[in-house]
Amino acid sequence: MNEYPDMATVEVGDELPSMDKRAGEAELFLYSAASFNPHRIHYDREYAHYEGHQDIVVHGPLQGSWLTQFVTDWAGPRARLLSVEWQNRASAFVGEKLTFSGSVVSVDQVNGSVELEIYERKEDGSVLMPAKATVKLERV
Amino acid sequence: MFSSLIPPESLARVGEILAGPITVRIDSREAQRYAQACGDLNPIYFDEKSAQAAGYRTLTIPPLFVTHALVTPKPASTLRVDGLYEDSTSVNLEVARMMFGGEEWDFLEPVCVGDEITGTTRLLDLDQKEGKKGPFVRLVRETTFINQDEEVVARSRQIGIAR
Repeated sequence: MNEYPDMATVEVGDELPSMDKRAGEAELFLYSAASFNPHRIHYDREYAHYEGHQDIVVHGPLQGSWLTQFVTDWAGPRARLLSVEWQNRASAFVGEKLTFSGSVVSVDQVNGSVELEIYERKEDGSVLMPAKATVKLERV
Repeated sequence: MFSSLIPPESLARVGEILAGPITVRIDSREAQRYAQACGDLNPIYFDEKSAQAAGYRTLTIPPLFVTHALVTPKPASTLRVDGLYEDSTSVNLEVARMMFGGEEWDFLEPVCVGDEITGTTRLLDLDQKEGKKGPFVRLVRETTFINQDEEVVARSRQIGIAR
C-alpha cells in the first residue's frame, strides 16, 4: 500500500482527506509579514469593522496557498501540481475554523493527471471558496 | 439606458503592461518564511535531500510564493489609510469598490531556490457584465513568470470584481 495516490489506482470519486485550518492573530500577522502585505484589514480589528468586516480578515492568497497545500499533501512530493483556480465568494475571519474537502472528478491516463474539485467551507457549511486543481501523479 | 462602467481610455489599455518586467532571485529563507506562515511544512521546501528525492534540482517553493517573491519593498510613509500602497497598476473605472474575485494558476516548470524569475503583469481583459445586484466589471490581470532559461514557469490570472 502506497502512502500517496498513483495513476494505477486513482479513481474518479476518490476523496482527499479533509484539512482544517484556523488562523489566529499571530498566524495572520506572520502571513502579512512573510508576504510583505500591509493591508490594514488583516491586522487592525477596529479598521476592519470600519470597512464593514465583522473581524480581522484572512488574506485571500493565504487561502490560495492552503488550497495548494491541501492538494500537495494528498498527492505527495513526487506529484506535480499543474493548475489551480478558485473563486472568493465570501470573507474568512480570524479564529474561524475553515475546512478543505475535495475529490477526484476525472482521470486522464494519457497525460497521467487527475482533476480535483475542492471546497473550502466555514463551520456552518457555507462555501467560502469553490476550487479546482489538476495534478500529475506518479506512474508505478 | 445602458451606461458603461468602463471609460473608453481604460478599455483601450487591455493588453497593456501594468507592472514589470521585474526580476528577482528566489531565496530559500524568504520561501521558508512564507511556507511557515502558511503552516505548510512540506520537506521539499526545507530539506534539500527530500527535494532531490522528489525530483527537484534543489529546494523548491510553495507554488504561490513566486508572486510574493516579486513584491518590491516600499516605505511605510507612503501607505494610504487602508494600509495599501498607491496602486500603480490600477485601472480607472466608474465603480465604488474593487473586490478580489479569485485566481487561476498554471504551473508549467518547477521553480527552485536560486532561480532568477522575471514577472510581467498585463491587463488581460476588462468586461462589463450584468449581475443580480446590477452591473459589474470583471477585470483580469495576467502575470507571466519566466526563469533564467527563458522558460515560462507559471502564469496567474487575478480576477477582480468591481461595482
